[in-house]
Amino acid sequence: MSPKVQIKALRKSFGAHTVLHDVDLDVGEREVVVIIGASGSGKTTLLRCINLLEVPNSGSIYVDGEPMGEEVRGAFRPLGDRRLQERRAQIGMVFQRFNLFPHKTALENVTLGPIVSRKMPRAQAEKLGMSLLERVGLAEKRDAYPAHLSGGQQQRVAIARSLAMEPQLMLFDEPTSALDPELVGEVLDTMRQLATDGMTMIIVTHEMAFAREVADRVVYIDQGQILEQGPPSEIFQNPKHERTQSFLRRTLRETANLLPGPVAKAAARN
Amino acid sequence: MGYRFDWNVVFQNMPILLSGLWVTLTVTLVALAMGLVIGTIFGVMRVSRNLVLQKIAAAYVSVFRNTPALVQLIWVYYCLPLFLGLDLNSITSCTIALGFGAGAYTAEIIRGGIQGVDRGQSEAAATIGLSRFETMRRIILPQALRKMIAPLVNEVVSLVKYSSLVSILGVQDLTYIAQLLATTTFRPIELYTFLGIEYYIICTALAFLADRIEVALAKRD
Repeated sequence: MSPKVQIKALRKSFGAHTVLHDVDLDVGEREVVVIIGASGSGKTTLLRCINLLEVPNSGSIYVDGEPMGEEVRGAFRPLGDRRLQERRAQIGMVFQRFNLFPHKTALENVTLGPIVSRKMPRAQAEKLGMSLLERVGLAEKRDAYPAHLSGGQQQRVAIARSLAMEPQLMLFDEPTSALDPELVGEVLDTMRQLATDGMTMIIVTHEMAFAREVADRVVYIDQGQILEQGPPSEIFQNPKHERTQSFLRRTLRETANLLPGPVAKAAARN
Repeated sequence: MGYRFDWNVVFQNMPILLSGLWVTLTVTLVALAMGLVIGTIFGVMRVSRNLVLQKIAAAYVSVFRNTPALVQLIWVYYCLPLFLGLDLNSITSCTIALGFGAGAYTAEIIRGGIQGVDRGQSEAAATIGLSRFETMRRIILPQALRKMIAPLVNEVVSLVKYSSLVSILGVQDLTYIAQLLATTTFRPIELYTFLGIEYYIICTALAFLADRIEVALAKRD
């Protein structure tokens, strides 16, 4: 079976600054991959290239075995508008800053995709929308506008909005980074539930404890390259690369007491 | 001070003076409606990915913003019939000219409003499979509209005042009638003062209306 996502020799630069150097990454069906790395390492750009919110300079991206674009004379060219729109509709994405539509209620945010893009009758879309709001624990907020919701609630509505498209794959771009610490848990719980339900997920996050618990595979990205990847136990306890070790030491310092293992212990000593 | 004010000229001629109100309001509102439609089309073209559309809209805005409304009025009234063979009466051509002028300003207001909407909004719309058109219609424009209300009110108010230019082409609006009476009664000061009051009331009323709309929209946030 072909992998859910297949990225080959992906290269992306902003002007003279190269953000991704020939990145290869495969993600299997139902796999949960967590991408970690310092800020500016290119992890968010990599994620945004998968649904082409960022268009790479060269390389190839396959989702479900179908290309998201083609290389023409060495340059990446995305699918045409209509095809791209169809493909994107099958890939859910959750943003750091939620990006809910502020002029629509929670329920309207969730039903917009089904109604407009899946041509679902309103009544059916609302039924689906309510079941999803229930799933993220926000059924009673159906008529609230985003401005009246907490950050954690907004992010859960955003997850429901993505799920309403019944995506085959979900991308999470630092979904808890903009949240107050006490609101992080509710969003992680929702994501954990999704992972348990078998969703294929690619997650960029700084939540190491969550990565350790939920990830099937952790990918460490450094200066636009995948330096190391493997099961969380391996990456967190026996990182091979010196740069991975020092990144984890820096990141884990605050949460050292939550994690057993040599890196955490080393971090705790510092 | 040798001048003796005589406001009777205003009171005696009140029905005639007010008879221009309908013309002024019609010209303004029709030109405004035209301006909104033209402005939306050209404003969206200004932010289009298509370079040709972008340039056409930019050229339109630049011509109408950088020439006097009076010249536009005269141009539409005298030249359009010559080029297009259309025979337009003065009130129609004045309304068209004002509408195109308003369209240029509105296009800039709309462009600013669109560009003021966070990029994350169109990204989120893309991830739920919305086309660029649907995104503009359902996500970007409704949000841009709120940012545009204050500058649009400015535009409406200045359009009311610009509409007084149509008197030059013999359209019998408030200004034309005041002018006419001023020359026949030799009471320009009283009549023009009253004219100023008329415009003041119209503009204030429109601004008040716009305020209510803004409040009604803001209630939802």
